[in-house]
Amino acid sequence: MRIEISGLTKTYRGGVAALDGLDLTVPTGMFGLLGANGAGKTTLMRILAGLVRPTSGQVTVGGHDMSTGAGRTAVQRGLGYLPQDLGVYPDLTARQFLDYVALLKGVDDRMARRRRVGELLEVVALTGDADRRLRGFSGGMRQRVGIAQALLADPRLLIVDEPTAGLDPQERIRFRTLLSQFAGQRTVLLSTHIVDDIAQTCRDVAVLARGRLAFRGTVDELTHRARGQVWSIVTDGPPPAEGTVVSALPHEGGTRYRVVAPAAPDPRARPVEPALEDGYLALTTR
Amino acid sequence: MTSQTARTLGASLRYEFRMQIRKRAVWIVPALTVALFLLIGGSLLRDLFDKGERPAEARTAVVGLAVQVLALLSIGYGCLLADRLIRDDRLRVAPVLDATPARPGARLVGKYLGTAAATAVPILAVYLGLAAVYAVHTGAPHALGWALATCAVVIAPGLLFVAALALTVPLIMPAPLFRVIFVGYWLWGNVAAPDMMPTLARTLIHPLGGYPLDALLDFHGIDGDDTWAGPVPSATLNFLRPDPTPTTAWLSITVLLVLAAAALAGGHAVRARRA
Repeated sequence: MRIEISGLTKTYRGGVAALDGLDLTVPTGMFGLLGANGAGKTTLMRILAGLVRPTSGQVTVGGHDMSTGAGRTAVQRGLGYLPQDLGVYPDLTARQFLDYVALLKGVDDRMARRRRVGELLEVVALTGDADRRLRGFSGGMRQRVGIAQALLADPRLLIVDEPTAGLDPQERIRFRTLLSQFAGQRTVLLSTHIVDDIAQTCRDVAVLARGRLAFRGTVDELTHRARGQVWSIVTDGPPPAEGTVVSALPHEGGTRYRVVAPAAPDPRARPVEPALEDGYLALTTR
Repeated sequence: MTSQTARTLGASLRYEFRMQIRKRAVWIVPALTVALFLLIGGSLLRDLFDKGERPAEARTAVVGLAVQVLALLSIGYGCLLADRLIRDDRLRVAPVLDATPARPGARLVGKYLGTAAATAVPILAVYLGLAAVYAVHTGAPHALGWALATCAVVIAPGLLFVAALALTVPLIMPAPLFRVIFVGYWLWGNVAAPDMMPTLARTLIHPLGGYPLDALLDFHGIDGDDTWAGPVPSATLNFLRPDPTPTTAWLSITVLLVLAAAALAGGHAVRARRA
């Protein structure tokens, strides 16, 4: 499902502009969305899921116009959506919750629904807890239930907002792998603060800043933005005053700082190969 | 109604019923109310099983019982339903459900019917249970028929009306405030005498079902000398109090159901406008 967005604006009550004339095309496959808090990522995702109406602009998903009720419903028929800060009904079991969502997604055949729910519980490693009430689930377990509900009904468009928040490292890796395998001929829009999740799964990426498109290209191109701007410095003094400190690791004789700065922040600094996080910081902290 | 809409309604009804019926308060609140009723009054309940005191007709006994049960338990009923629609937002489940192709209107109606039915189960269990005991105790099986008829024309329309208000009004005010206002409304609308102050008692919009009690069930109080609907000399709002006849009784039921539908439509519109 190809997503085409042009001149998209969303202004909330009180005049807060979450999106400000956004133009973006999202092709089939995995697509990463990066941006600081308040950049407009969640609003964009909610518009694409049909939850929020834009103030102006055009959005088509798989050729369906999201400004019409029929268009939104057509998109929602093939949509899997995992919102940021997902909630569940605490008085249902995991299996019942998934069954309910599957019914609402139009999986009417009881046997097919049971089979699909069982498969997804297996995929998110919750088979053993399937008949426990969600009230007793940890945050990570609820997030896995959220992932399972998003994958019900075999969606052609999967929108996942901060999907790995609350997951332990193994779960994160397993979920990233699952997303990559799932993508294939589908569209997966992955929004996250965790740059590494994008680096490990996406070829294409967009960066939003203050409701506008700050970057659109490949992960390599974004990484390349930091070429010649990433420095390593070992010092026992204070961190470099110039640039953005990416990391600070204890090191023999002081601390090793990784810094993104347009020029060497210190005579002792030596250039290093950039990573995606450096590219993102080079772009957004200019 | 399309088949997809019907399936959405059915799924929502089924799961909302299941969630609500498991809620402890749904059972505890009516149980405490009944206990309180027995402690502070409940004279009718005692009289029903006293040969010398009970009404001569089984119809009068079970319909009178319905009036007392409905008047008391509806307060808790409205309060218990006040969080059911807004809780989808509070629990942060709404985005997941709203992102499905299921029609929001069908989901709302399913939630309404499911939660209303589940919350009514203890009330109906209390009422029909007492009516059954009465029928056995007095050897009057037709009392159960009257009890079912009372459920159909008095209890069900009243509870459906209350449920619609309780589900949708908290969309525009905090649920605790709604509960306080609802208790006040219930006492004002059902207990206050129309010649004392403007009130909905004895009008077509009387959720205790004055018109069906009077004109369909021929109920005129335990002693047989009360009226439950119709104009009151020197009262305001008498334009809402036509003479009780079977036609006005059915009109009253229709008005309650139309108001319930209007409240749901309003709630649906409020939710849609927030998107």
